[in-house]
Order: sequence, then structure tokens, then C-alpha cells
Amino acid sequence: MLQVTDVQRTFKSGDTTVTAVGGVNFKIPEGKFASIVGQSGSGKTTLLSLLGGLDKPTSGSIEVDGQDITKMHDHQLIGYRCRKIGFVFQQYNLVPNLTAIENVMLPMEFAKVPVAKRQARAKELLAQVELSEDQMKRKPGRLSGGQQQRVAIARALANSPALILADEPTGNLDSQTGKMIFDLLHSLSRSQNTTIVVVTHDLSIAGKTDKVFRLKDGKLVR
Amino acid sequence: MNVITRGIRNAFRNMIRTLSITVILGLSIGLSLVMLIANQAVANKIASVKASIGNTISISPAGFTPGSSANNALTTNELNSVKTIAHVTNLTEVLTDRLHNANATLPSRFPFDNTSSNGNNTTSLSSPIKLNVNRGGNGPRIFINGGGNLPSNFSLPVSIIGTTDPSNVNSNAITITSGSTIDAGKSTHNALVSTSMAAKNDMKVGSTFTAYGTTLTVKGIFTGDSTSAVANDVIVSLPTEQQLSGQTGVVTGAVATVDSIDNLDATTTAIQNKLGSAANVTNAVTEANNTISPLNSVKTITLYSLIGAVAAGSMIILMTMVMIVRERRREIGVIKAIGASNLRVMTQFMAESVTFTLLGAVVGIIGGVLAGNPITKLLVSNSTNAGARGPGGGFRHGGGFGPGHAFASFHSGIANISASIGWDIILYGLAAAVIIALIGSALASFFIAKIRPAEVMRAE
Ligand SMILES: Nc1ncnc2c1ncn2[C@@H]1O[C@H](COP(=O)(O)OP(=O)(O)OP(=O)(O)O)[C@@H](O)[C@H]1O
Ligand SMILES: [Mg+2]
Repeated sequence: MLQVTDVQRTFKSGDTTVTAVGGVNFKIPEGKFASIVGQSGSGKTTLLSLLGGLDKPTSGSIEVDGQDITKMHDHQLIGYRCRKIGFVFQQYNLVPNLTAIENVMLPMEFAKVPVAKRQARAKELLAQVELSEDQMKRKPGRLSGGQQQRVAIARALANSPALILADEPTGNLDSQTGKMIFDLLHSLSRSQNTTIVVVTHDLSIAGKTDKVFRLKDGKLVR
Repeated sequence: MNVITRGIRNAFRNMIRTLSITVILGLSIGLSLVMLIANQAVANKIASVKASIGNTISISPAGFTPGSSANNALTTNELNSVKTIAHVTNLTEVLTDRLHNANATLPSRFPFDNTSSNGNNTTSLSSPIKLNVNRGGNGPRIFINGGGNLPSNFSLPVSIIGTTDPSNVNSNAITITSGSTIDAGKSTHNALVSTSMAAKNDMKVGSTFTAYGTTLTVKGIFTGDSTSAVANDVIVSLPTEQQLSGQTGVVTGAVATVDSIDNLDATTTAIQNKLGSAANVTNAVTEANNTISPLNSVKTITLYSLIGAVAAGSMIILMTMVMIVRERRREIGVIKAIGASNLRVMTQFMAESVTFTLLGAVVGIIGGVLAGNPITKLLVSNSTNAGARGPGGGFRHGGGFGPGHAFASFHSGIANISASIGWDIILYGLAAAVIIALIGSALASFFIAKIRPAEVMRAE
């Protein structure tokens, strides 16, 4: 269960105050697949950062599994991001010097998963996103965009998070690959009962999700 | 795969960068090490020179100038008063003269003084010292104004030293290699000659030679601590020399031994007061200080160079790490976003910078160990050039006793400086490298802490 109450985020730039997110309220039940759509600059990325504990709202509360993350200290937020959240970025953001499998093992290391278990789980996840054994041993520079994004999804799933946040995960991919990534996320939310929030421009994708939130100038519109 | 191995692996991410950093850091660590080695070697040498300062005081006639024939000698009577001064435990008196070979021709301008009252400063001995003319060859040299050569039968005048202590000549302890020593208190016709002198003149114990027209017998043959410094010497007892040269009661110098080095300065002053303006009274501390002063400047130079090299190394790694952190800003943001703490990221970068410096240290230590000794020698010999001029054996004139000789012995000691390179040096090198690495990653850590994970959501 994800509950967002009166969340506001403003930025000061010089003398002016930019309201990126201005009083947003919504609820997403566990295991649901939600999408956020809206024009560029409407505050989608800002909202997602707040949900993921990368940034703190100016006011309001965000409850994940009954815990208000806006009241957490920085070091608690690190633990929150590590265990409760899986991120998927538009630019994939894999660590270039690590192989696919090492990238997937990374969040498990941060979560202090025993060394012996990490590799097996990473392999299992990469197999789920349909990466071959050979591809698992490659560094991101030698994988296609779609393959990198699948590694990123496997990495996001590594610690079995409560919430997966994806900011335009298909934005850098062709429509066919994008659809495949989206289907992958979709089936995951079903099979693992993970709540997923996707930011997207693609309305055909958004149409297939359980819930669609429209943002306009930092506010939800019907 | 953990944070440390990741850091180490990252150090090899860009081989060209890794190589250049290794080389540059290697140079700076190598230089630091060389300077440390040189600094230690010089410090050790200073300590040993200081430790070798005997508790002795040199007494020489006032206004003594080498080469002058108008030197006023001291007398045994005057020196007897010194024996009674507090803390003086021993007094060695010396009368030194030079004898030239009766059959040798001296160049017209060769300065030579006849100090003996009988005016017969000749000997049958030939000097074992070969003088090189003008700039040729190593060892003692003579410069002839306007060029030219020494006469073919030239022999350098020989030093004859009448002493009350034949175990020691001109601050050099001597060892009898054959025969026995002479009775220092009596006027006899016995003499000690150096091994070189014996070889040159084909003499054994029991052989005879002439000096001042008198036949002397070789009682013993000796070598000194420094063979070359005593090569040109003939030793007789003080009464013998006084009698042979017809200078009764005359001495050209003396060495007073003091009970403790702590009393050295006070006793020096007391002796000076007793003898008044007739004598120059000095102790080895002053002389040693003169000798040490170039070493001290080498020590200072090496210390500053050491600090400079360490600072340069720290700067290099500091800049590199800041550059790398800026370059991997996004990556740092990502791993922070997926759950790495600042500390963990910093540890990873420290592992990387320690790897760089250890690579540099390997290069630097190998270079430093190889270059340490030669560079130390180079630094020391350049700064103590004046003292490295070979044995001055042939140039002791008249009462050639006093500061000059002490100098010679200190200087020859300095020329023998050697840098010792032990495991401790290598450990210092490694420790310095790690410290440099940690200091170097401090600023990088600050930048790491400032990177906000939210940045990764935005494209660059
Ligand atoms: N750090 C910041 N400082 C000032 N203003 C900011 C900052 N971050 C975002 N904004 C502003 O907040 C608003 C929302 O930005 P945000 O990135 O959330 O939009 P978005 O909906 O993700 O747009 P897009 O679809 O183009 O990615 C924008 O007007 C942006 O200029
Ligand atoms: Mg955005």
C-alpha cells in the first residue's frame, strides 16, 4: 500500500519559487500497476523521486507499508531505498565497470545478503528477464539498450522491493522493445505482487495499467 | 565482489590513466624515498661525526700559517703548565719537521723551510707520495705556475714527527705491523716508518736511513686508520726529534685530553688563558661543526625535498581522485540511489586511490632503493667538495699539526657516507603511500558526500 497525502515540493531558484509538485493525494493498493502521465515539466520525475526517497517533500506525507518516509533520517532513507524500492531509469544507469550479473548483485551487497546467495539470485533474476548466460557476463557497454534495461529491471527486483519506480523505462527504446519491457514489468507486478509506478509518455502503455494518474502543473487532474 | 575489490578494479578501468598516474606517483614516491634515505644517511653521519669527536684539545703556536717559515714554536716548559690544569688527563706533545731527500732536486719555487738549527734538513728517504702535476691524475696534486713539470728526481719532503705518544699521529691511530714501537720518553736513534715509506725505500725492521745527517734505525713499521694520511710520516720520540733538529725544548703542537667531553669547552678556555696569545687552542667540536655544516645543509635540502615530494604526490592523487569523482558523478548517484551509504562509496574510492598509490609505491620504491645511495653520495660530495681532495700528506709544513688534520680525518669520513636501505625504509615508503592516498581521497570524499542521488533521475 502506497499512500500519498498533500505532497508538495517546491524549488527555490534565485528569487522565484518553482512548484514542481503542488499538493498531490493518491493511494495505490499493493500489487497494483499504476502509471503517471503528463506533459513535460508537469512534475512526474519530481514526484517519483519523492516516492523513492531520493528527495524529500517540502510538505505532506508518503506512507509505504505504513511507514512515513518523509519523517525518516537520511541513513534510514538509504535502508529504505535499498530494501523497499527498485529503480528503473530511462538511461538504464547500470554501473559500467561491472558485468550484468555484478550489477544485479550490487543492491544485495548493500542489503547485506550473504555472499553465497547473491550470485544464485542474480542469475535467477537475469534468467527471468531472459538474458543468456553469456550476456550475464558482459559489461553494459556490450549489451543493447533493451538488454541493459532488462538488467536494470533485474537489479530493481534484487531485494524483492515493495515498490518499483520506473521513470520512462521505455523512453530510449524502440516501440517493440518498449512494449516488451513494459510487458515484463506487467507480468512481474502480477507474479511477485509488487506495486509498480511507471512514468510514461506513451498513452498506449498507460492505457493498459491498473490505474493512470495525470499530472498537470504539479497537480493531479481527472 | 565487495566494496574493496570494486575499488581496486576501478583503478584499472582506464589503463592509460592508470599507467600515467603510476608513473607520476612513482616518481614522487621515489623522490620522497630518496630524500628520506639521504636525510637519514646524512643524519646518521652527523651523529657519527659528533660521536667521533674525541675529548681532545689541539694546541698550536699562534699565528701559525702553513708554508710560513716564521712560525713561533711553543716550548715544553710552556706546555708543562697545561698539564696541571684541571680536567687535563693527558698531554701529547709533538715537534714536526720536514726532510727533503738529499739527492733530489727541488723546483726553484717549491716552498721549503729549514727549521732545524743545524740547517741540515736532509734524509736518505724518498717520499712514497707521487705528486700529480697540474691537473693530471687523482690524489695529491701540485699546480706549477706557468705549467711545466717537476724535476725527474723530485721527491716530496718527508714529515718527521717527534711525539710523546707514538700510538697516534696527527689524529690517526696507528698500528705497528712489524717490529715494535719506540720509547717515547727517550732520545734514541730509533724510528717508526709507514708501510708505504718502507716499501718505497726498500726497508725492513732493522734497516737504517739518515735524517739530519744522523743514522736512524727502523724499529717498527706502521699503518694508520687511513693509510694514505700517514704514508709520508716518520715517527721518532719527541726528545729524539728535538735533539736531531737541534731544537731543544721546542714543540710545534700538542693535544690535551680532557676527562669528559662536557669539560671540553671550559678546559679549552683555561688552556688558552694559561698560554695566552702564544697559542691557538681549539677543540674538535668547533672543527667538527665546520665539517658538519655542509652536511647540515644537505640535511635541510633533503628534508624540504622530502616534504615537497610528499606534497606533490598528495596533490597528484588528490587531483586525480577529484577528477575521477566528477567523471563518475552519475555512477555514484546511482549506487547511492540503490542503497549505498556515503561511507561505502568513499571506502570504494579510497580503495581505488590506495591502489594507485601502491602501484606508484612499487615503482617508487624500486627506483628509490636503486637511486638512494648514488644520490646521497652525489649530494654529499657536491656540498663537501672542499674536503674531498685526497690526502694532503705532502703539504704539511713545519708544525703541520692542528685543525687541518682533524678536518682531513672528518672529511675522509664524510666521503665514506653510505645510505642504508632496510625494510624499514620500504615500510616507510608504503606507509607514506597509504597516507598520501588517504589524504588524497579526502577531498574526493567531500565531493562524493555532496552528490545527491536524486540527480540520477535527470539526464545530463
Ligand atoms: N532542482 C530543481 N530546481 C529547480 N527547479 C526544478 C528542479 N527540479 C525540477 N525542477 C522544475 O520542476 C518542474 C518539474 O520537473 P520534472 O523533472 O519533475 O518534470 P517532468 O514531468 O519529469 O518532465 P519531463 O517529462 O520532461 O521529464 C520543472 O518545471 C522543472 O524545471
Ligand atoms: Mg521527467
